[in-house]
Amino acid sequence: MSEAPRSEYRGQIHQQQKDLMLRWYERLEESARTGNPPSVELMISGNSIELLEGFGAVPLYPEVNALQLAIRHLSLDPILAAEELGYAADNCAYVKADIGALIRGITPAGTPLPKPALVLCNFVGCNTYVKWFEHAAEFQGVPLAMLDVPFLRTPEPRAEDVDYVVRQLHEIVCQLEQITGRRFDMDRFREAVRCSARVEEAWSRIKHLARRTPSPFDAYFDAITLMGPLYVYRGSPEGVAFFELALKEMEEKAARGEGIYDQEKFRVVLEGPPPYPFFRSFRDMFASWKATAVASTYSTVGGLWEFGFRHDPSRPFESVALHMLAHNVTNRNYLQRYEQIRRYVEEWDADGIVIHFVKSCRLFSAGQGDMRDYFTRQLGVPTLYIESDLEDPRYFSEAQIKNRMDAFFEALEHSRSTGTLRRGAAALRQPAAGAGSAPGAGERLNILP
Amino acid sequence: MRLAAGVDVGSTQTKAVIVGDNGGLRMLGRALVDTGANVQRAAENGFLAACQQAGVSPQDVGYVVGTGYGRYKITFGNSQMTEISCHARGAHHLFPSTRTVIDMGGQDSKAISVGAEGEVLDFVMNDKCAAGTGRFLANAAEVLGIGLDEIGPLSLAARHPVKITTVCTVFVESDILSYLAQGKKPEDVLAGVHLAIARRTISLARRVPIEQAIVMTGGVSRNVGMVRALEQVLGTKLEVGSDAHFAGAIGAALFAIEKMGESFESGIWRPADAAPAG
Repeated sequence: MSEAPRSEYRGQIHQQQKDLMLRWYERLEESARTGNPPSVELMISGNSIELLEGFGAVPLYPEVNALQLAIRHLSLDPILAAEELGYAADNCAYVKADIGALIRGITPAGTPLPKPALVLCNFVGCNTYVKWFEHAAEFQGVPLAMLDVPFLRTPEPRAEDVDYVVRQLHEIVCQLEQITGRRFDMDRFREAVRCSARVEEAWSRIKHLARRTPSPFDAYFDAITLMGPLYVYRGSPEGVAFFELALKEMEEKAARGEGIYDQEKFRVVLEGPPPYPFFRSFRDMFASWKATAVASTYSTVGGLWEFGFRHDPSRPFESVALHMLAHNVTNRNYLQRYEQIRRYVEEWDADGIVIHFVKSCRLFSAGQGDMRDYFTRQLGVPTLYIESDLEDPRYFSEAQIKNRMDAFFEALEHSRSTGTLRRGAAALRQPAAGAGSAPGAGERLNILP
Repeated sequence: MRLAAGVDVGSTQTKAVIVGDNGGLRMLGRALVDTGANVQRAAENGFLAACQQAGVSPQDVGYVVGTGYGRYKITFGNSQMTEISCHARGAHHLFPSTRTVIDMGGQDSKAISVGAEGEVLDFVMNDKCAAGTGRFLANAAEVLGIGLDEIGPLSLAARHPVKITTVCTVFVESDILSYLAQGKKPEDVLAGVHLAIARRTISLARRVPIEQAIVMTGGVSRNVGMVRALEQVLGTKLEVGSDAHFAGAIGAALFAIEKMGESFESGIWRPADAAPAG
């Protein structure tokens, strides 16, 4: 078999991304050594990085550490260490990798990670995180704050929900002032919110460039590369400079008509996180078919901005609350996720959908079988469903996944050869009246701005 | 006459088929060999045996499509396709009204929704677990000390099939031993085993639309007990031809004819030993 064509974009931003992430680990190391800057452990989903900027604190993201371990093929040892402690085989593998790494003193870059000043569980969407962060606080012997963000159950968050989250943010500010001995800098916080809005604008415009044919970047694999800076530096001038450069480079690439491959063959939407221990092999499976991910839900875990939401410096606390409540994929209900994917297929001109089910993540994955049925049976969009894990290498079978991917693209290729493959809006069949349950109720799903 | 071959290197057995195109398509020869540890050798042996049965020289075969898990190990093959595409194509060739294929092999089982031209519309497969596959049956046969070829016919003699609750290929052994200890008859135990797999397979298959005609392919299609159990669970008849076991190789050979087009090139055959290094 010939080698899969290399597909990732390597411009200035590639090196800058590496430098930024390296600098983040250096700041964490400095925090570990001197306690300055203070660090706060946060979860990625709907993260409130802007709040930390008001304290000059550095974020510590256990998910980023876990996935870095997995990409470097270091995740199995900590997972086994956690299982020896009694964590079950089907517990979230991110949790096990993080807890196991804490116990064993394993860090992704080999440099020490700080003991956080506070473990802040911004409980957005994932209830496993409540226990994860409780355990992380317990194992590290540091205080824990629970930020309870109500699950989004109405098209827009209710005013009382926003108020509820804002009040908690105020409480956390007081708590962090006490713990760190630093005064919260409201101007710096507002500036961070302003930076976030600029980063979100650039990021959103990059994502919209993927609507072009060919797409100048891969909205799954390349997006993951950009997600590190997005979560660590969003509220900072470095973040603004990085994302505005990224936008410029992507716009230039788009203007030259350059895609990911010499010739883009297929355009797909991806649902679910990648199998990080086999990230390269997974990417090559798409590359061998010259398939570009033009949109992905995973890249909206930290925030969903391509449909218009931006942080607002004129009401900083409210916009942080709104971001946590409504503008990240994990805190939204399933029907909203269906609608998000449907819009991607239609507006980003996709040929099909690939769903990657994560065995150790019930929250993100439960219901994906129904999701597949909805898209294949009701909307007529070719949808592939594959299973492995985002962190635990034991769940990944390369031969099996490649077989399914090849079969999926063989079928798409055949449809194209017979003129029956439809793309974008043409790929979507209108659901028959009364067909299926809630997903067919288009008007109820029409809730994105 | 233009000649093409399909070689389906499965986890347990390798199937090879030679198809001739002389205005109309004809299957000229077929062969079945155990895959064993040397996948490359199995592919070669299967191909040569099929050529011999067809009475053609390997040099005269113009195009070979490899399929199955070992498809990338076929050194003399021209191209590869997944067994999902090949089983759909092969089943459609054997039964043109095919709309659903249930393929049960040694280590995987799959259900394929097939279009009017034999194209794949949708498919589902078992995932990283041998439950619902030939391996499950082989384990049961081993525990009972009965030959794999005999378990199907024997299960048909059951009068009171037992209820096997596990679908785990490993744990089924303890279930079987427990029933035997209770004095249950081997045929009743075997009928329970076949039904357990049938339920598992059909629940998988229901994730693609099951439409008539439903064709069973793969090595397990030779097991009459399994065919009966699947029909019982589905409540409808399955189409199982004498070539069902070869559906993947037949599909591969048909793709080979298509890919060969007009550019017939003789003498592609070169055994692995003679292949230049690298």
